[in-house]
Formats: sequence, C-alpha cells, structure tokens
Amino acid sequence: MRYIKIYLACLHTAFSRAAAYRLDFVLGNLITLLSNIIFPLATVLIYANGARFSGWTMWEVLLIQSVFSMSNALASMISGSVLWVTMDSIQAGSFETVLLKPLSPLFFIAAANFDTGSIGLFLGGLAMTVISASFTGICGTGGILLFLLMFISGAAVMCGLDLIMAAISFKWVGNSRIPEIFDSIKEFGKYPMGIFPRSVQVLSSLILPVSAVGFFPASALLGRLDIRSLISVLPCMLFLLFGVWIYNRMIKIYEGVGG
Amino acid sequence: MCKAVAFVTYKEWSAYRTHSLVSVFVGPVYFMVQYFICTAIYGGNITLGGLEFEQTVRYFGASALIGYLTMDFADWNLQMLVRTGKFLTFTLRPMHHRFFALSQKIGHRVLGFFLEFLPCLFIFALLFKVEIIPRYMGWTVLSVALAFLMNFYVNYCLGMTAFYFVQANGIRVVYQLLGSIFSGALIPLSFFPEVIQRIMMFLPFQYTNYIPAMVWTGNNSIGEMGMTIPQAVLYQGIAVIFTALLSEVIYRSSIKRFTAVGA
Repeated sequence: MRYIKIYLACLHTAFSRAAAYRLDFVLGNLITLLSNIIFPLATVLIYANGARFSGWTMWEVLLIQSVFSMSNALASMISGSVLWVTMDSIQAGSFETVLLKPLSPLFFIAAANFDTGSIGLFLGGLAMTVISASFTGICGTGGILLFLLMFISGAAVMCGLDLIMAAISFKWVGNSRIPEIFDSIKEFGKYPMGIFPRSVQVLSSLILPVSAVGFFPASALLGRLDIRSLISVLPCMLFLLFGVWIYNRMIKIYEGVGG
Repeated sequence: MCKAVAFVTYKEWSAYRTHSLVSVFVGPVYFMVQYFICTAIYGGNITLGGLEFEQTVRYFGASALIGYLTMDFADWNLQMLVRTGKFLTFTLRPMHHRFFALSQKIGHRVLGFFLEFLPCLFIFALLFKVEIIPRYMGWTVLSVALAFLMNFYVNYCLGMTAFYFVQANGIRVVYQLLGSIFSGALIPLSFFPEVIQRIMMFLPFQYTNYIPAMVWTGNNSIGEMGMTIPQAVLYQGIAVIFTALLSEVIYRSSIKRFTAVGA
C-alpha cells in the first residue's frame, strides 16, 4: 500500500512537471510518435509494390506493428528511464543518493522517472491498432481477453529488457549504445513470426520472447493465436523477474565515493 | 594539420572501442531481419522496386557498411560547443572550425573502418554469403567519399542552427527522422512513388545513403528516373559542392551572432 501511494505521488509529480513545460511535452510526444511510426511505412511500401508477407494482409501486419508500438510505449513509461538514470548515476558516481532512500532502488528510480514523453506514442499506437483492427476485424470477447493477456506479457518482456540493459550498465559503464543491442533484437517482434526460420521462432518465443510483444497479441485479436503459444506467458513473466533479479544483483558491484 | 587532428581523434576514440564494437552485433542482426523480410516478400516476385532479390540484399548490406564509413555527429558537437560557449576557443585557433571538425570525423571514421566496417564486411561476405564486393570499385569509392562529405556538410549546417536558437536539438531530431525515411536506410527509395523520388533529387537525404548504396550494388538504372551510375555520382558531386558552399554562407552569417565569455 505504501508503495502504491508513493507511485501515485510520483505520477502526480511527473504530470505536474509535464504541465509546467507544456510545449516541450507536446512536441516531445509528437516527435517520439513520428519517429516510432516510421517502421510501418516500410510495410505500406512493400504492399504498395505488390509484394506481401505470405498469409498476412497489410492491415494484419500493421496491427502487429501498432500493438508493438503500444507495448513499447507502455514499457517506456514504466521502466524506460531506468537505464538512463542508472547509467548517468553510475557514471557520475552519484548512485549512493538512490541507495540512501528508504525504498527499493529499482522501484524508486522507476517511480520517480515515470516517462510522460511516451504517452503520445501509446495513444498513437492505440489509434493505429483501432484503425488496423477495423480493417481486419477482431475475434470477439475471447479474442480481446487473450489479447490483453498477451499484451501484458509483451509489456513485461519490454520492461524486462529495460531492466537487463540497466543492469548491464553497472558493468559496462557509460556505454550509450547498450540500447542498440536490444533494439536490434526487438526487430524480430515486429513482423509475422512465420517469416523467420524455426530456430529464430523458438528463440523469439521462449528464450528472448520478443514475439510476445507484437505478434502474439495481434494474433490473439485476429483469432489466429495457436493455443500452444499461451505457454509463452510463462517465459515472459520469468523474463521480467529475471530483469528485476539481475538489476538488484548488479547493484552490489556498484562502487562510488559519496556522490 | 588534418593528419594530426585525425590521429588524435583516432587515439581518443580508441579508448572507447567497445562502443564501436557494438556495431559488430547490431549490424548483422538488423541485416538478418532485413534478409528474412526480403526472403518472405520476394516469394513469387522477380523484381520489386526495380531490384532483384540479390540486389536488394546487397543493397541492405551496402547501406549498413556505408553507414559505418559516413557516420557523423558534427551537428551535435557544434551545437554543444555553441551552447556551452566552448566554441570561443575555436575562434582563437589558426584553423577553420569546419576543417577541424572534418579532420576529427576522418579520424573517427578510420577507427570505424577497422572496428565496424571490416568486421561487418567479413560477416556479410562469409556468414551471409552476400556478394558484397562492389562491381564498380572506382565509382563506389568516389560515391562513398561524396556521401561522407555530404553527411558532414549537412550536419555542419544543422549544427550552425545553434547560433540562432538556444536549444536547437529539435531541428536535429526532425532531420534525423526525415533522413531515416528518405535516405533509403529503411527501404530503398525505388520502392517509393515516382513523384517522391523526383522530389528527393533536390533534397540531401538520398545522397548520404541511397545513391552510394545503389552504386555499390552495381545497378546501372537507379530509381524511376533510370539514372546511370556516372549520372548519379555527378548529381551527388553537384549536391556536395552546393552544400559545402551553403555551409560557408551560413557560417559567415552565423559567426557574427556568436557571443561568449571565457569559455
């Protein structure tokens, strides 16, 4: 209960901060949204040139990509700042100020740095999802419930990735290219899984479950989800737990002299 | 002077070599995704956007490699120098800042050549079995060199917006956004409608990536306009000269606005 109250207070502060710099908030959200809706453009151009992903219409592929954007935005709001704040604090030697707080360091950083800059991306992703779904049609209440389950699992994967990146920054100090490594892996979650070889499909469903970010939720909405795919919920949750565990573990290797 | 600045920059960035080595993982992973996408979409098609499957795969490989040779952050650097007032120290030096920045870029990219370009070239050629060696080596080297200069001059012009605005980061972000679409890094410009391809002839984006990547692939009919390689490189050369002159005009106008104390 205490943690919920603190999180709500932090949310209030984050929105007050955004309200103080309204133009910056609006422009920041707009730019984030625009830079994230680029990759569906490639899909549109591919279909406009007469090509296609076998068995998938353009709107179905766009649905995968818009769900991916939504999941990405949700994770960015919750845990997107953890990497940069952790990395900067380690580099500046000021992580002690976080450790001194009477809270879990991870919870404190995530709560105190709620990213309002991704709200636009979330709303944009939501709008794209609704538009895409209006062209593809959706598979009833059951499909929506399955979608929500898979969407939460996908967001858990994205948060887990954020935490693993932040954990790496304890060892690999000041390397601002860490996110690029994980961004490249996320690419596998933006397209129909069937276009990848079997080994990549297994890897992206069970080991690094990025397929759960866009592909599985969209498939659930379309009524095309293989029921065996539900098993991927487990690795998704384990992935998030692993992220939390590794972050807390890596804190122990932090060295500083007083901030 | 250029050699000395380039060498110092090379040594300075060698201390952060793991930053560059990230590309050895990231580049091939992105390429792998693009390869699978190409495999899927070419299914029953012989050509798409005027490119055959092998040409498209080679295009994406070349595009990634060109990125390692031409990568630039002169815009960020100049904006930082102007905003913090540190640019003052450069006005006291007996060399033009643009030449200094270009020399820095040469040193930085020589390091990129060894730590990013060569490893990825070998991975593309040996692991992915891509025919990555350019068909017309001379034209390719010339085109990549022009792309190197184009990228630098455009970024330098963007950096000079810092003389006019307190915080010019947004302009950089917008340019990068447009560049990621219209440079051809996301998808070859030949996939775009003809009217957009024609408009792009007058904008800088395609000269930094699309044109050199197409020259690298050896395709002698570039885009809807069906440009030959010599024609494409000629247009690229004209664009570079125009941008270099533009950067000088902007510099002469901008420098009058610069004020700083102490730095």
